[in-house]
Amino acid sequence: MAKILVVDDDPSIRQLLTDVLEMDGHDVHLAVDGNDGLRLLELTRPDFVVLDVMMPGIDGYDVLKVIRSQEGDPTPVLMLTASADPGSAARGWVDGVDYYLAKPFTPDVVLDIVESVCGQQIATSDSA
Amino acid sequence: MTKPKVLFVDDEPRILDGLRRSLRAKRGEWEMSFAPGGVPALEVLAAAAHDVIVSDMRMPGMDGAELLTRVSTQYPGVARVVLSGQAEADAAIRVAICGHRFLTKPTETETLTGVIDQLIMKTSRAHGALARRIAGTARALPTLPEQVAELNAALTEQDSNAARLPNAVAHDIGLTAKLLQLSNSMFFGARPKNAGIAAVVSAMGVPTIQALVAATDDHWSPTTWDPRTEEYLRSTWRHAVATAALVESVASPAHRPYAHAAALLQDIGALAALAGVAAGMPHHIDLDARECDGVPFREVGVELMHLWGLPAPVAAAVAERDTPHEAAEAGLGVTGAVRIAHLLVQGTEARDPADGTHEEELKALLAHPQMAARSCDWAAAADTASDRAGLLPAA
Repeated sequence: MAKILVVDDDPSIRQLLTDVLEMDGHDVHLAVDGNDGLRLLELTRPDFVVLDVMMPGIDGYDVLKVIRSQEGDPTPVLMLTASADPGSAARGWVDGVDYYLAKPFTPDVVLDIVESVCGQQIATSDSA
Repeated sequence: MTKPKVLFVDDEPRILDGLRRSLRAKRGEWEMSFAPGGVPALEVLAAAAHDVIVSDMRMPGMDGAELLTRVSTQYPGVARVVLSGQAEADAAIRVAICGHRFLTKPTETETLTGVIDQLIMKTSRAHGALARRIAGTARALPTLPEQVAELNAALTEQDSNAARLPNAVAHDIGLTAKLLQLSNSMFFGARPKNAGIAAVVSAMGVPTIQALVAATDDHWSPTTWDPRTEEYLRSTWRHAVATAALVESVASPAHRPYAHAAALLQDIGALAALAGVAAGMPHHIDLDARECDGVPFREVGVELMHLWGLPAPVAAAVAERDTPHEAAEAGLGVTGAVRIAHLLVQGTEARDPADGTHEEELKALLAHPQMAARSCDWAAAADTASDRAGLLPAA
């Protein structure tokens, strides 16, 4: 189980991701815009962040910049964009996202990514 | 089909009774034996081939470290689990060298059964038991003499130059593997998530690293390899170090720690096989075919990572290093990044002579948005990584 922060101003995306991720046993936290995202980032210390690019006010790139300036090992980030826009994808890769998906996307792809990053630890220890 | 055999060793009858009770549900799956000490445990192992041994450390007479060290040479096919109270520092290092997995008493039954069930499974389809025996022998891995010198220098310089130690560790294949193994275990402190080797070094502390270097030195480094083996070790080392340096630029930020580890550990199977030979195992090593007793080095390496409980994304990337890669649209991940770095290094002096350049595949991979978006001369970056990897110890 991973602690996942979803930052997206679109309620339908938040709902969709909550449904699929919680069904897989993940602990999902929702932020309604960039500001809220920064607040929850500090509060929840997530294992994985799903981040929309286009949001009013503080956008996805700004949130990414804060995530990447954090100390310690980098948090995995999946960035979502409204449509297949090569320019925004390129900027995302340069700024240091780990995954990039254009909407509409298949929720299973997100699950596979989260699983490959957070779910594959060979459990060797008592650590929960 | 016969049931897997698991042996539990503890000098306290109360603890053995507790294990017997709490593991009753597994009686249908495993054949379990219980021994009250090292000597009776060796008698049990002599009587029948076992899959897993779970041993306490502090026992009168033959203690757990001595027992497991003997098991590693006499019965290398038996996976070794340490189940112990918090040990003192020097005892912990002895344990660290001889065990495969480490659990702290009291441990949840589910955790214990989970680890045992994992260890009953073997990763190699074609050579399961044989790959397990070759990988199981290794307690620590051989290192190059100049690497040991660099580590010792970094340790003595700790106060004036704190950055030198993580850097030296990050260039040492055996120590990186050992630290990932230990940091994945509660026994040695909480595991930093998705940790880079620098974070592991700082979490484990300098005294632990110092003791590990000393212990590893004892076991392997002065071994004199024949010139052919030494040349092989050097080229393997250079390829690994160059790939590890390059993959730091190829992989996305969150994948860098595991990608670095996978690149560095890609040929760990060869080191494990050679460590076995150094320890007196009658292995037949074929450096041209990259095989030990007919088992490909890579399969030995993946089995070793499984035994040692290294993070699965690291083991997966090593297992896939020679498999043509089709990049996922959403991102390269650890495996894709390691494959690309390997292919780029194939175009340099640090190439692995046993593999080709795979130009078509590399071209397709470099066209992936994750690579293409960053305006970087990848071939030049690979050359730089190769040149710097040629300079040992790490500049």
